[in-house]
Amino acid sequence: MTVAEGVARRVTELDQAIDQEFKREQRLRARDLGLAILTPIVLLGLWELAAATGVLDARLFSPPSAIGERGAEMVADGSLFVHIWATVGRLAFGFIAGSILGVFAGLIMGVVRPIRAALSPTFTALYALPKIAILPLLLLIFGLTETPKILAVAISVFFVVQINTLAGIMQIDARILESARAYKATGIRLFVNVLLPAAAPAIMTGLRVAAGMSVIVVTAVEFVASNNGLGYLIWNSWQLFQPATMFVGLIVVSVIGALVTGLIIVLERVLLPWRHSNSPKKKESKK
Amino acid sequence: MTDTAGTDAFVVRHLSKVFGGAGQVHALSDINLHLKKGSFTCIVGPSGCGKSTLLRILGDLETATSGDVQINFEQTRVPRSAFVFQEHGVFPWFNVLENVAFGQKMASVSKRERESEARNWIAEVGLTGFEDAYPHQLSGGMRQRIAIARAFATGSPSLLMDEPLGALDAQTRILMQEQLVRLWEVERKTVVLVTHSIEEALLLGDQIVVMSARPGRVKEIIDVPFGRPRSVAMEASPEFARMKQDIWESLRDEVQASMSFK
Repeated sequence: MTVAEGVARRVTELDQAIDQEFKREQRLRARDLGLAILTPIVLLGLWELAAATGVLDARLFSPPSAIGERGAEMVADGSLFVHIWATVGRLAFGFIAGSILGVFAGLIMGVVRPIRAALSPTFTALYALPKIAILPLLLLIFGLTETPKILAVAISVFFVVQINTLAGIMQIDARILESARAYKATGIRLFVNVLLPAAAPAIMTGLRVAAGMSVIVVTAVEFVASNNGLGYLIWNSWQLFQPATMFVGLIVVSVIGALVTGLIIVLERVLLPWRHSNSPKKKESKK
Repeated sequence: MTDTAGTDAFVVRHLSKVFGGAGQVHALSDINLHLKKGSFTCIVGPSGCGKSTLLRILGDLETATSGDVQINFEQTRVPRSAFVFQEHGVFPWFNVLENVAFGQKMASVSKRERESEARNWIAEVGLTGFEDAYPHQLSGGMRQRIAIARAFATGSPSLLMDEPLGALDAQTRILMQEQLVRLWEVERKTVVLVTHSIEEALLLGDQIVVMSARPGRVKEIIDVPFGRPRSVAMEASPEFARMKQDIWESLRDEVQASMSFK
């Protein structure tokens, strides 16, 4: 009995130790989260204080309270949404068109050697060209319509996605390809079961990079060639000397950028479950 | 030997392989082999002797430069040979069930049929409960079991294995060797297994093909006299030790020769 009691006590001690370790880990995580949230709040507080006491020039650095007020006004009169929808529309059309074409071109170039030989050097050269630099040309061709704005976004996205997709195909492990060949995977089956999933991580990386870039491009396009959209809003409030409005625009653009990138990350988790299911080994008894 | 051609799964005659391009490599030279249906053949030889190349030629992944390879299996919808590679042969984007069913999927076997077959072999290699797990969630030994289960589940009459247990730690390797013997004793396919390990060859094979240093030739074909079922326990027998010593004697010169190449 005494031996059994001794064992039982040791077991409870062990349980307690594990429990404590677990709680400690949870406390640390809660603290990390708290610090992450606290930092921007403290910074905004300091900003408000600095603007109120005159340390920062409030005419240039509108205090957060004034920015909030201005934002609320623009929401109330609906003007903010006009700009948001204009920007999001260009972003969505440009991004979707550019990425579909980019994935398609990258895959074809990866699989068909002559097409790769023909296009790869030219595309690589064009990749280096700052895409925003061709906006004037697009304006010349299409005039001041929506087309050049969407095209500028689509072209920027296209090259990034195409290059990453091609790299994804070219970097497939030779041993994986040999394995596929040994099991007689050919043609469309090889493509669907092996090439596409093997290249998928690189494609997603391309989409993520392109997402960030498309926000930059759409903003820049709206600076110069638009009379709506968030880029226009930011540019116009500089010219009209309305810093509070400008800050509203900046904040909304950053939020959109974060959302677009977040969307791609979610998409990646849904499409590539094998890269993220890091949960411990599942052992369910099968019926 | 020639009159038994009907029962030979693989007949290799005067096979040579030269890898082309600048700096030609003479990988295989005048290989002659008869591998009986349902036999288990192990190929040992120094690194770079072309044993993997020979295996690839048997499995149609590579073509011979000269000589001929006759493969006597009926042509069915499943490939005549299923491969097991050393590592990285399983697809990281498929879960265990999809990986094991892959060979039959490529052979257009219906989903229900191939999955039920896959589940049988998953059970045989002891991975039941892990059907939905992805390879990266499993240990190296478990991943190799996926590859072995896939080869069996494909339903090919022959299995070609290229150092299937080479990347495993010593203990896991012993367990897997026993498992492989057991699986093969259940379903006697024609197996050709390339290995570095003389013990492994003696434990698994009916016959051992000892190859020379590059260019690879068949130096010796040794019949393994041990009965079946076999287990790791037979490694303790004096007969096993003697044969291991003999094969090593035969191999030693070749290994030295292959080292002086570098």
